[in-house]
Amino acid sequence: MGRGLCLYEEVLVREDCWPLSRGGERGYGDFRFSYGPSAGGLLESVGVDLLTSGELVKELTVDPGFKEREVKVKGKSLEDALLLVERINVPFSFSHSLAFSTAVEEAVDLEPPRGLKFSRIVALELERIRNHLFVIARLTEAASLGVPSYHLYYLVEEVNRVIDARCGHRYFVGSGGPLKMECNFADLRLGKVEEEFKEIFSGLQETRIFVDRLQDNGRLIETEWVTGPAARASGLKLDARKEWDSLPYSDLGFQVQVGEEGDALGRFIVRGEEVLESLRLISSASREAQGGSGEVPSSGEGEGLGRVESPSGDLAYYLRLNRGSVEEVALLPPSLLNLISFSLSMRGNVFTDFQFNWESFGIWISEVGVKFA
Amino acid sequence: MRRVWFIRGLRKGVLTERENRVFNWSTSLEGSGEVKCPTDAIRNGWDSSKCIFCRRCYPSYKPTGDFRIAQVRRSESTFKRSFHLYPIDVGSCGGCNHELKLISSPQYDLTRFGIFFTNTPRHADAILVMGVVSPRMREALLRAYEAMPEPKLVIALGTCAASGRLFGDPVERYIGVDVMVPGCPPNPLTILDALIKAKGGKGV
Repeated sequence: MGRGLCLYEEVLVREDCWPLSRGGERGYGDFRFSYGPSAGGLLESVGVDLLTSGELVKELTVDPGFKEREVKVKGKSLEDALLLVERINVPFSFSHSLAFSTAVEEAVDLEPPRGLKFSRIVALELERIRNHLFVIARLTEAASLGVPSYHLYYLVEEVNRVIDARCGHRYFVGSGGPLKMECNFADLRLGKVEEEFKEIFSGLQETRIFVDRLQDNGRLIETEWVTGPAARASGLKLDARKEWDSLPYSDLGFQVQVGEEGDALGRFIVRGEEVLESLRLISSASREAQGGSGEVPSSGEGEGLGRVESPSGDLAYYLRLNRGSVEEVALLPPSLLNLISFSLSMRGNVFTDFQFNWESFGIWISEVGVKFA
Repeated sequence: MRRVWFIRGLRKGVLTERENRVFNWSTSLEGSGEVKCPTDAIRNGWDSSKCIFCRRCYPSYKPTGDFRIAQVRRSESTFKRSFHLYPIDVGSCGGCNHELKLISSPQYDLTRFGIFFTNTPRHADAILVMGVVSPRMREALLRAYEAMPEPKLVIALGTCAASGRLFGDPVERYIGVDVMVPGCPPNPLTILDALIKAKGGKGV
């Protein structure tokens, strides 16, 4: 955050990165209310500042800088830099590792084998499934729906175990890298997860007390700052899996899941449908997936951009290499865009909408509070 | 379905597991030989609190499958029947937060051991710290610790909190740590085992 090298889609600008606050006029009877950085109900530490006259939220500002970490990658070898990059946001570890690796491959002009690309698709979709299950579990937990929330956490753990069994680590750490994929996805079947999830997903859509908490909650009017499932739930057909051809999604007949409502309910439904689409993609991609480990020139030079559709949206790394070391790096994390959208979508809502709306965006502060050094 | 969530719950039966699963790359390491360890965890043996389980030492060092790797310096048997935890993220990558959440999943079910989460340090028996201590979370950490009633325990969850290593300052630099739970991130069984031992039990 703050003045630095900012990556906006495919443009690099040196300035104050992304406006997280647009101010807010304080009227008669209004007061400011601070929530966080450490508070019950939040999974991570984050500061929230509300302008309110009582129950109604007039303005909301999020400060993701409380847990900011310095990530010292500059001057490091690719191997050492990757060690840090895959720990920027461990729930999206594979997405970060893949975007970084793709940037490296572009910088030194390397083309991964086709089987390895399918292996990357399987890993990326497993990460997406786990994340969406987790987000929906958090939503049901906020609504005090014990049975679906515990059954969803059960499925999250089952997916973690599949990842561990296939890749040696529950969060893919150490499994990927430039031209590298140390996972075995042969005969991967997730039929039980699919069957259980379908039952829970359809049940939740029929559960009035759940739907009521999400419907019209956090409706996005301005869709300038949004990505991932939150964008797709607002009718925007934005998906790096379609727009970026580094992975052969088009060979698998991938369909972008789009909704129209733009509220928390829409985001929940898009996530649910994406789980089913990801399961279908995995069953096709795993047939052609192959692991592997190729050589990356130790003195490579150049610059590259890597982009992937992480579970929360468009994630990109810009990288400049000098004699095999990282000279410059910039990150566009999806959670940053979604934080801005979340703040805007809270205007006009009430306090009790907060948790449902927050969880529906699937924001991870850990990937926003990062300063490269 | 809308009328029958509780029936679904009953129909699924007990999902909590009696057998412990093994997750290789977050269990103790054994081996020998010269290795290039990026965090100095391997130097005259293996130091669990520094290990990020990056696998660079493989195959000289291999995981044993033993998840009971927490270091319990002090336990408090007062909390044997009821142990309330206040988690605080002072600069984590989200991995520890994710794994901590999963000890509530039916496979592990922390409540069967009398362990619960609380939303305020005023009601907490232990503060569970995740991540390296970032400059702006230092005050929040110290204030949460001060707000807790005696007796109280400090648990450092994950390699960042335990030793800092890749990203910055460990918790120990600011408050004394009673229990260290190594792992990057620690798996749910390691966490559960540490929590049971912290309240004077024998572990999982």
